[in-house]
Amino acid sequence: MLLGKILVFLFVILQMALACGFIAGIVMAIVRHSQAKKVLIQCALVGLSEVFLFPFVWLILTALKPIDETMSMPIKWIPSKFMWGNFVDAAIYGHESLGYYPFLVYAVNTIVICILIVAGTVASNSIVAYSFARLRWPGRDIAFGLTLATMMIPFPVLMVPVFALFRHLDWIGTYRPLWVPAWFGSAFSIFLLRQFFRTIPFELTEAAKLDGASEWRIFRTIVLPLSKASLAVVALFSFMGAWNDFLGPLIYLLDQKTFTLSLGLQAYQSQNGGTSWNLVMAASAMVIAPVIILFFFTQKLFIQGIAVTGLKG
Amino acid sequence: MLTVYGSELLTKPPKADGKVHVTYWEKWTGAEFDAIKGVVDYYNKSQDKIQVDLLSVSGIENKTLMAVSGGIPPDIAGLYGPNVTQYADDHAVIQLDDLCREGGIKAEDYIAPYWEAGMVRGHIYALPSTPATTALHYNRALFKKVGLDPDQPPKTIDELNSMADKLTKREPNGHVIRTGFMPGEPGWWNWAWGPFFGGKLWDGEGKITFNSPENVKAYEWVQSFSKKWGASALQSFQAGFSGTFSSPQNPFMTGQNAMEIQGVWMYNFVHMYNPKLDWAAASFPAAKPGLEDPTVIDLDVLCIPVGAKHTKEAFEFLKFVESQKGLEMLCLAQKKITPLKAVSPGFIEHHPNPFIKLFIKLAYSKNAVSTPKLGIWAQYGDEINNAFSEITIMSKTPKQALDDVTNRMQPMLDKYLERLKIRGEQ
Amino acid sequence: MKSISRKEAMAGYSFASPWLVGFLLFMAYPLAASIYFSLCDYSVLKAPVWVGLDNYAMLLHDELFWTALKNTMIYAVFALPAGMATAIILAMLLNSKVKGMAAYRTFFFIPSLVPQVSLAILWRWVLDGEHGVLNPLLNKLHIPGPNWLGDPHWVMPSLVIMAMWGVGNAMLIYLAGLQDVPVQLIEAADLDGATSWQKTKNVTLPMISPVILFNLVMGIIGSLQVFTVPYIMFPNGAPAHSTYFYTEYLFDNAFRYHKMGYASAMGWLMFVMILILTMFSLKMSEKHVHYQGS
Repeated sequence: MLLGKILVFLFVILQMALACGFIAGIVMAIVRHSQAKKVLIQCALVGLSEVFLFPFVWLILTALKPIDETMSMPIKWIPSKFMWGNFVDAAIYGHESLGYYPFLVYAVNTIVICILIVAGTVASNSIVAYSFARLRWPGRDIAFGLTLATMMIPFPVLMVPVFALFRHLDWIGTYRPLWVPAWFGSAFSIFLLRQFFRTIPFELTEAAKLDGASEWRIFRTIVLPLSKASLAVVALFSFMGAWNDFLGPLIYLLDQKTFTLSLGLQAYQSQNGGTSWNLVMAASAMVIAPVIILFFFTQKLFIQGIAVTGLKG
Repeated sequence: MLTVYGSELLTKPPKADGKVHVTYWEKWTGAEFDAIKGVVDYYNKSQDKIQVDLLSVSGIENKTLMAVSGGIPPDIAGLYGPNVTQYADDHAVIQLDDLCREGGIKAEDYIAPYWEAGMVRGHIYALPSTPATTALHYNRALFKKVGLDPDQPPKTIDELNSMADKLTKREPNGHVIRTGFMPGEPGWWNWAWGPFFGGKLWDGEGKITFNSPENVKAYEWVQSFSKKWGASALQSFQAGFSGTFSSPQNPFMTGQNAMEIQGVWMYNFVHMYNPKLDWAAASFPAAKPGLEDPTVIDLDVLCIPVGAKHTKEAFEFLKFVESQKGLEMLCLAQKKITPLKAVSPGFIEHHPNPFIKLFIKLAYSKNAVSTPKLGIWAQYGDEINNAFSEITIMSKTPKQALDDVTNRMQPMLDKYLERLKIRGEQ
Repeated sequence: MKSISRKEAMAGYSFASPWLVGFLLFMAYPLAASIYFSLCDYSVLKAPVWVGLDNYAMLLHDELFWTALKNTMIYAVFALPAGMATAIILAMLLNSKVKGMAAYRTFFFIPSLVPQVSLAILWRWVLDGEHGVLNPLLNKLHIPGPNWLGDPHWVMPSLVIMAMWGVGNAMLIYLAGLQDVPVQLIEAADLDGATSWQKTKNVTLPMISPVILFNLVMGIIGSLQVFTVPYIMFPNGAPAHSTYFYTEYLFDNAFRYHKMGYASAMGWLMFVMILILTMFSLKMSEKHVHYQGS
């Protein structure tokens, strides 16, 4: 029985992998003519894009449907009328008696928290990474090794004592447990930034030191401006982490008015029927759209940032 | 900097206005929420010292526990009856004995099982707010359609089985279109089938009795539906209804499920979503002679969590809710019965629920069952639900599934009782 | 000389201080406390009561613990390679100079930007056996769509598919790594007449092997901690505990059953597992990972 299950499993996975790899494989392995290759790559990309975008197309379509068509059987693909008003409704419609607030409220909450987290992450991690990368002090390398090791500590093992700690501080129910730790540094960002900082030529900073500049001055005026790409990467990753965070808000936030988008969406979903799915989808679409646009215009910067930070060692 | 200030603002509780603010978390939404809101508004208007702030909270049994652990509990929590023992054992809710004595709230005024639900080891930890009993709800129009007498609902399980057979409709490829009866719908009392068949979930002391012969028989009956109609056909049919209870897509309302076990509130929901439905309620059929009028004693309760800031004021409000006037206001609005023995004149006669007398009668049934008073009920209940799922998709035989749960929960129970002793309770 | 060093050391400590403090507060202390709690019976509302290794003993006998562990492991074993392969392949595709690259990159990256919760809800819809969207499509192609979310045999594949869909993060990192591969090496291989497959196997993959290693380690850590999606899509690990994951059981024990000591023990075991797996990967990688111009 178990063997049977495993085989079915493997079969499905194999199919999926084959589908992806097959397309790419054909493209790259067999065709040598570079022009034809380009065309085939285009095809593969278009095909795969469809797969990746399909759930979103469904999301938008559902967002535009009137309520009774959202759950209809058989599936109604195109809405009979395009209810653009759903987007507005989703943002401002809320009903306290049903236990949810307008998504605008959740959005504002989430944005506030994200700003605090990103600011804290960029600020604290750059300072700490500077110390690891460009200052010499006893115990530095051991400390860095420890830092790397902490990347392996899973949140669940810390969850209970940290919760107890915040309880003693009376911080449960506020946003503090979510953003205050961001101001104390995080291993991943420290690692990224330290790698990058080390690539800045030491001659630059030596010269400034000989001129009598303080470390802080050097940091601010020389190192930081050169690190825009890496800082952007750290900011992006921390923003995404904060935006998506679910477990944190789940255990620290209790009043529905204070929920973040993740938590709000989930609370919406767990109602016992009568959920306006079209509104939920509209809200989700509005949540996703700005981030997509942001990424579209800044992607070169990020990829550069990652490359330059050198995850190679 | 601005943002820090902003974040603090967003999570700050509202300003004071001279009144004592009592926070009250309730689980209800929609029409049921409006019912309690009516009571709260009435109370707030009737005096000017206490203001009750009502909030609808989903997942209340978890949230309240987390709030108590987090040090920020509400002053009143509207929990489910089965939660009480766990909360009491965890010291998450306060004892109400003294407050009740001073306030004149007595056991004798209540229908026994509802009062009992709030008692743990001889102390009062919760007061009933809205009680319920369950009955068989059936679709009279469908009965007529397949040639059954709409005024003769099944009285025994065997009759239920044969009527369900007539009412179930399938496509030639096995796809289910309509079920006569689905034990998994609504799936809120999966633990009750054993007791309906005369079995017990716990011997009252130290033994988990989930795999007793009566219970096995009950779940074999549950599995018989999957056997007859095909486990995956039934499963995917049922899965399509998840989350539709309070909506027009509720399978009972759409006529896709002809008979189901439901509570006294069902009238309210049918009235809202499909008032034209031709339906009726009757006692659930007996598994064997002697087990007539089986019903689930389900109820909502009100508790005061440990760490609440305004215990006295909270109890003042509780006194109002528990008064005959308060309870009748609330229960009538939710179209339910009240937990009190005494009934005001006209309450029954003018009650919109046409079957209210049945539900009241069932509350006194000698075959009424409730959840065992175990602090580990949360986990036990989860395990039973899981076993139910395994049984309906036929991945295990009922005996296997029940044995597994028993073997898993017995050590938990042992450990739990041991820890209770270590903590110094009895 | 000495005084410069002292000044620099002081600067070093003060710059590093946020992390040092944070480490003690949010890592070292909780780790230590967690060990302590795991040896106690603790329910936050009352003081912990020492019970020694009892929690660990109970865990070993707890069938649900093993089920959750098994589910998590199965998921990791399938989702990791599938995800990595998908990410690498996508990155390689995106590394070509084809028109509209910015758009494609965005399309493939979007899934990682979406809050997990939205994803879970969305996929729940798409994959629903009765009312979903995928099955009608498959039916049109005359492929009978299984009950993705209701059949225990198919839920795990569903989750793995979702994991493959969300590889945007890893894909970007691979892309960055690919762009770092020295063009000369590729050109040299071209001159030697290598096919694309040979180029990939002998040049590209080894060049990005550090990136692969990095993603592997992060992937191990991440997939063992999966929580949000299963929690939302499959409350309580339905159907029949087949999607009950480790972190969810931990969460339930801590916040639903109030057995915080027990949950802490689970947390520690998870940490130990991650340590072992990471050490193992690092050891294995010594042979295969090639560092550029060290």
